[in-house]
Amino acid sequence: MTKERIPLRPIDTTPPLRNLDRICDMESGRLSGKVFWDDEIYQQELEKIFARCWLFVAHESQLPNAGDYLTTSMGEDEVLVVRQKDRSIRVMLNACPHRGNKVCFSEAGNARGFICNYHGWSFGADGGRLMGMHESKCYEESGFDKSQHGLRQARVDSYKGLVFATFSDEAPSLEEYLGPMTWYLDVVLDMDGEGSEFFGGCIRSTIECNWKVAAENFVGDILHGGWTHDSAARAMLGSAVANVSDMPESYSVNWNGHGYEFGTDVVGNAATLGEKNINKYLHTIRPRVAEHLGEFRSKLIGAISSATIFPNFSYLPGQNTVRIWQPRGPHKIELYTWTIVNKSAPEEIKDMWRKGCMMTFSPTGVFEMDDGENWEYCTKTSRGLVTRYQDLYVGLGMHTRIDDSELPGNVFRGQINECNSRAFYQRWKDLLEAPTWADVPDRNGRMR
Amino acid sequence: MSIIWLCREEQLAPGEKLKVANAEVGDICVYNLDGVFYATTDLCTHATASLAEGDIEDNLITCPVHWGQFHIPSGKAVTFPCERHLRTYRVSVRDGEVYADVSAEAREAEKIECVQI
Repeated sequence: MTKERIPLRPIDTTPPLRNLDRICDMESGRLSGKVFWDDEIYQQELEKIFARCWLFVAHESQLPNAGDYLTTSMGEDEVLVVRQKDRSIRVMLNACPHRGNKVCFSEAGNARGFICNYHGWSFGADGGRLMGMHESKCYEESGFDKSQHGLRQARVDSYKGLVFATFSDEAPSLEEYLGPMTWYLDVVLDMDGEGSEFFGGCIRSTIECNWKVAAENFVGDILHGGWTHDSAARAMLGSAVANVSDMPESYSVNWNGHGYEFGTDVVGNAATLGEKNINKYLHTIRPRVAEHLGEFRSKLIGAISSATIFPNFSYLPGQNTVRIWQPRGPHKIELYTWTIVNKSAPEEIKDMWRKGCMMTFSPTGVFEMDDGENWEYCTKTSRGLVTRYQDLYVGLGMHTRIDDSELPGNVFRGQINECNSRAFYQRWKDLLEAPTWADVPDRNGRMR
Repeated sequence: MSIIWLCREEQLAPGEKLKVANAEVGDICVYNLDGVFYATTDLCTHATASLAEGDIEDNLITCPVHWGQFHIPSGKAVTFPCERHLRTYRVSVRDGEVYADVSAEAREAEKIECVQI
């Protein structure tokens, strides 16, 4: 019997910042650029958001075999994600519990374990238990108990292939955390009952912007599409982006800071890849999707839409890019992107999507370039002390909530609407102000 | 001659290994390499580890802790961080029973220039 490990020392909690209402007032739709610039706020985010929320770490398809691992981060905490012999997935700190050195430097691979370069502390792939170290005899002679040390584990759970982890013991279950958003996630994760997979590798790049600017763009900002991306759309489609507000039926939905804005046009996002066969594929499988998920959701499979799962996991149906905005200080993100496809799709269709993603949403992608510059300057202008306190308007779409909608979540009319952005920032503020998870207020049904 | 019984031949399929406790010389690891049996000390010469928990590949045993390797027939240390060779024991098989002479090295070990401790 191995003894229980000495528990991880609890994180020192710092008192919530005061006067957040002054810089984030979602009742009136007002924000201040200080939230993008301030280092004190950023440290609070690491503690009260990234160390507490469920964070995306991997898609199960990235780790098919026992011993398969990848490295990523949860906030700024570097972690290893490892497939176990019993098929479960474990997530553990990628830092040695001897002097703290990083134990694994590669992005992905298969390993029997992990050995620290510094003093040879060795950890099994099976949950990071300490196997031994260089000069082990000296440790043994001084009464060292190996079972008390090892790589620290996070809580892990998954939803239809997406693996999430949290370092919080008091966080709600993943099911509760995602809430009704799973109904919408199914549109990309479970179109035909055969599941999804990541296709190709992970592209990593940096953008000098605050992480919230990017996450908020995906949570509910299609407004920028027709303006920011006009030239890129002309290049990819040969014509301008249609006025999204002219489309007959579209919605914004949110829940606890997660958000999804979407049209019902089936292939609007997919069309921007400039690959007719992808649209044809979506039209071909749509009847099967209608059978599996119902007629309504079959209209969303490649529609003009975007989504963020709070705090920093985002995706675009149709373009099939999945990404995580890794915070790297208040003024920088590391962007990890993948291409997600239906497992059942033909190989050549999967490959078209992979290439399409690179043409549009990658460091050289036409849309990513457009967004990157905007986001960098949304962040950088706030280095100006006066600018930092300028009111930023987040009030579009007030009073558009549909109270009697049959759709899950908080439903609002129209996708050109900042209701999801308001819900995102409200959740952000609620978490920063809440000493514990139990103190986080329930805003569902109350947001404007 | 100091012959000890290790295991039954059929207990160990090719590619498998087994830890056998021995009060006199300490734990012994028995290996079956394509039908030929070998035995060495079970404790890695680098740090505390049971070689019986390691992996066999191409006549090499990889230590489960730091992944150093030894050549099983000769006990020769071949991969970092293993520097000291492994003590081997001469194995014989009679009537389906595997024995080791703990006072003799394996014949292959005699070819190694540097004699182990």
